[in-house]
Amino acid sequence: MSESAEPAAKPAPPPGTQVMPLSEALEKLARLEQDNKLAEADDLARRMLAAMPEHPHILHLAGIVSYRLGRLEEAVERMEAAQRIAPEVALYPRNMCEVYRGAGRLEEAVAAGRRAVELAPQDSRALFNLSLIHYERLELDEAVRAAEAAIALDPDYPEAHFEKAEALLLAGRLKEGWESYEWRFRLKQAEGMLPKTDKPQWDGSALPPGRLLVIGDQGFGDCIQFGRLIPWVALLCPQPVLACSGDLVPILRQLPGIGKIVTRWEDTGDYDAYIPLSGLPRLYGLTTENIPPAGYLAPPEALVREWGEKLERLAPRGKKRIGLVWAGRPTHKNDKKRTLKLTQFAPLFARDDVVVLTVQKGDQIAQVGGYYGQAPLVNLGPEIADFIDTMAILKNIDRLVTIDTSVAHVAGAIGVPASVVLPKAPDWRWLLEREDSPWYPSLKLYRQTIAYEWADVIERVVADL
Amino acid sequence: MSEFCSCGSGLRTLRCCGLDPQALPGEAAAALLDPQGNEATRLFNERKYEQAEALALNVLDAAPNNRLALRVLHEIRKAQKRGPAAEALGARLAGLPGPGAVRAQANGQFVQYLVAQGRHGEALPFAAAAVKAAPKDANAHHVMAVTLTETNDLLAGERHYRRALQLLGQEDGLVLANLAWNLKLQGRLDEAAALYQRALALRADNRRALGGAAQVEFARGNRDNALKLLDDALAGGDEDRSLRLLRAMGDVHGGAPAAALERLGAPEPLLAPELLLRGQALERLGRHAEALAHFAMARRLQRERGGQVFDPAPLEARLAGHKAYFTGERTQPLPRAGGAPVQPVFLLGFARAGTGLLEQMLAQVPGIVAGDEAYPAAALAGEVTRFAGGAANYPEALDELLVGDGALIPDQLRALYLARRARRGLLRGEAKFITDRGGETVWHLGLVKLLFPEAPVIHVLRHPYDLMLSNLAQDRKLEANAQVGLPALARYFELWSEMLRHYRAQLTLRYLPVRYEELVADPRGQLARVAAFIGAAGELPDEAVLRANEARLPDPRPAHAALRAPLHGRGVGRYKAYQRVAPDLFTEIRDRLTPWLAEQGYEEGFDV
Repeated sequence: MSESAEPAAKPAPPPGTQVMPLSEALEKLARLEQDNKLAEADDLARRMLAAMPEHPHILHLAGIVSYRLGRLEEAVERMEAAQRIAPEVALYPRNMCEVYRGAGRLEEAVAAGRRAVELAPQDSRALFNLSLIHYERLELDEAVRAAEAAIALDPDYPEAHFEKAEALLLAGRLKEGWESYEWRFRLKQAEGMLPKTDKPQWDGSALPPGRLLVIGDQGFGDCIQFGRLIPWVALLCPQPVLACSGDLVPILRQLPGIGKIVTRWEDTGDYDAYIPLSGLPRLYGLTTENIPPAGYLAPPEALVREWGEKLERLAPRGKKRIGLVWAGRPTHKNDKKRTLKLTQFAPLFARDDVVVLTVQKGDQIAQVGGYYGQAPLVNLGPEIADFIDTMAILKNIDRLVTIDTSVAHVAGAIGVPASVVLPKAPDWRWLLEREDSPWYPSLKLYRQTIAYEWADVIERVVADL
Repeated sequence: MSEFCSCGSGLRTLRCCGLDPQALPGEAAAALLDPQGNEATRLFNERKYEQAEALALNVLDAAPNNRLALRVLHEIRKAQKRGPAAEALGARLAGLPGPGAVRAQANGQFVQYLVAQGRHGEALPFAAAAVKAAPKDANAHHVMAVTLTETNDLLAGERHYRRALQLLGQEDGLVLANLAWNLKLQGRLDEAAALYQRALALRADNRRALGGAAQVEFARGNRDNALKLLDDALAGGDEDRSLRLLRAMGDVHGGAPAAALERLGAPEPLLAPELLLRGQALERLGRHAEALAHFAMARRLQRERGGQVFDPAPLEARLAGHKAYFTGERTQPLPRAGGAPVQPVFLLGFARAGTGLLEQMLAQVPGIVAGDEAYPAAALAGEVTRFAGGAANYPEALDELLVGDGALIPDQLRALYLARRARRGLLRGEAKFITDRGGETVWHLGLVKLLFPEAPVIHVLRHPYDLMLSNLAQDRKLEANAQVGLPALARYFELWSEMLRHYRAQLTLRYLPVRYEELVADPRGQLARVAAFIGAAGELPDEAVLRANEARLPDPRPAHAALRAPLHGRGVGRYKAYQRVAPDLFTEIRDRLTPWLAEQGYEEGFDV
């Protein structure tokens, strides 16, 4: 055999090319995606697809990478192709369910979720995903049932318990919901929210003054919302110590009965028990009928006057002052669902009888730089030092228009009229269908009628101004 | 390393830019070579340049501070257009010790050298040295006045012109005409007209005075007077191109573009300003393809022969620096100035957006005074370092506001601003608002926020394609030489807009956008909107008065008043007519501008 005969049948790879077995390449692709090395994963996926465009698992993984990179259409296309080629693989519809949900294609999502459960009835993840999509579709009984089925297979599945809690709470079944809600500290993202301690969680019994540690555990909005229960706590355990983020100190300091406030675990001092703020509703036995009234916070009068004078100078007179918040904290798990772009409030900006006062903070404030609407807009964010400033501003406006974010809670807590725009499947605290909120009587809720579709919601808000 | 100096003087480095001042011969020793210096001067005057140069080089090798030889070599290098060498020698000459009159003359000549190149800012210290060397020398004061006027320090310029006249002890046509020009720039048109009359009484063919007087008459609304002045001058057989150009402008603005074409003649031998005006005339006649060709030819001339090069690097650096410094986080704790007796109203707009038109309209509202570009707030950026003790450059020097008496700096700067504007006669009794149309405001909104925290900022928007074309057609120098072509204009627009976008996101501004297109379509409605936003309560003029745009404005009048014309919509969407004859006109800049069109609410439309 001549030396050149054999290689001629199978051309050598171009110089510099590494040859990797398929199994190894798939493993590498999955690892890159899990390690958030998305650019590398994307590149590898592209090369693998070029070599094997019909391989279902490459297509599936490549689709997940596309999804993570925000290329939804491509993700769906790739993953649908994988499913067409290998319709019996349960993993594919299971993940498709989530991708469809992210793309707002809820019909297809629920079909994929059901198919995944059908193919793998013992897969608790598939059931969990199905529960999520039922929540999105406001099919709350089904959401609870799917979550319970997942829990039956895997009793130690915090995400499923938490999903069940959210569905129950949103349905208004608060007492049942609070019980499952206790699983929230077992979620992966809850790590570090509670102190490392051998002290017990408070059970609602009386303690000597200063011996209870209350923890502002969730987001700013939750802390403001549940902060109303602190006076009740103080009746049982006078002067509780409050540990919370520095941003919340000026607000929560206003609550009567509170002891010292700390922002670092090492400053808490000794205590007999602890309780997260979000654990108080369960102990209180809170239902929609016994919520302590709003109006429990108020900005200092002098600051309200100061902002009033400032706004007199900054905002043209004779127009309705409309406060505006259009974006939330991007790290919030539901931010994509609740955050809008400034330009989506165009019907508001077309009004010539309003002045828009944005109380937006954070990076999204940059959108103001591209605002050219008819209504004058004053970007107050850069001058807002803390929530007390926000409160003082809100006391000087006619109405706040906001997404579901902490400022909505601030407005509600101080009794300022606000229009809150909500996604089709909102956070549980806004309950179902109603336009009002038992938590905050000054708020009016505007719900999406179609998931991810804001245009008609904003039209309604603006028409009511 | 070459022994000879890199500036190209022909001297050895150690006898030129690398010389050690301590090692120079004393004045007396250097004067020993004066006979040779005189000889070099004689040779130069007899146009024996090679011999003069060789002798001067020899003298300077022995005594680099020999004034006579230095002057000869400087003149030769200047004539040879060896810029760096001429400049190095001229600066050295200006710095030599000696009798006051001699020093004044050397500095004065170097100032003229710099001024001829449009480098007025660099000329200032030399002009000042001339005045200090000979405080009673009328010429030194005149030169000082010219540089101050050209660097927009008009009041100081006026002072030196008047001192020069006083020292001369008699009327002087040149100084009178220059003083009149200074007053014209201040908007003091009646005084300027009177001075021009005095200058023309001395010599009726004083071209500088004639041109200036005509411009003042245009600005005063005396169009017929202006045209007569120019016609008389030109009828006398005067071939002065600048007078002819002014007359042709009169044609174009008077609605006689064909006459302008005839007056200017064929395009071939024309200079850039003439070509641009010819282009404008052609546009008025609907001959857009030819107009475009004229604009392109003019800009090519400026680039290729005038050496005008677009250099965005300094603006890019400024943008990056100001973006890094003026963040909400960093600006919020900085102290602010307190309330002011009169509120500045900042009129902001990319060049040719229509801030001048808006200012003309606002000036007709009681209580609002047109401040135009008189000592704009943006110029205070140049004062911050001095006020902050020189510790750092602007804007970092603003950190000093956080320390001790630094908190007083915003009030001090604001007081300086108001005092300067008061000296310009802007703080009239009835003034509640004074507009500030400073061309560089956009870069300094961070500083504006500190000095006038709640001052209205009115941004005049215009379709970016119209802006590009309008700037291409006008003989007006822009920052970074952005006027040299469409790609340069587009990049400048992008930098400008990016700066504004940043400030609007990072600062709480009292900001209102107004569209040029709406301003000309609905002048009273838009004026009412702006007046209400500002808080001006005065009665607005009638629609017809606004449209005619010829209401008499009090002195000081803004410079743009000279070009006032009845409101028209010719400038709205005119890019479409150009696009029809040159479909690829915007191809090169489309990608750059499209995002801004979308953001600012404009579309790319086509006439079909």
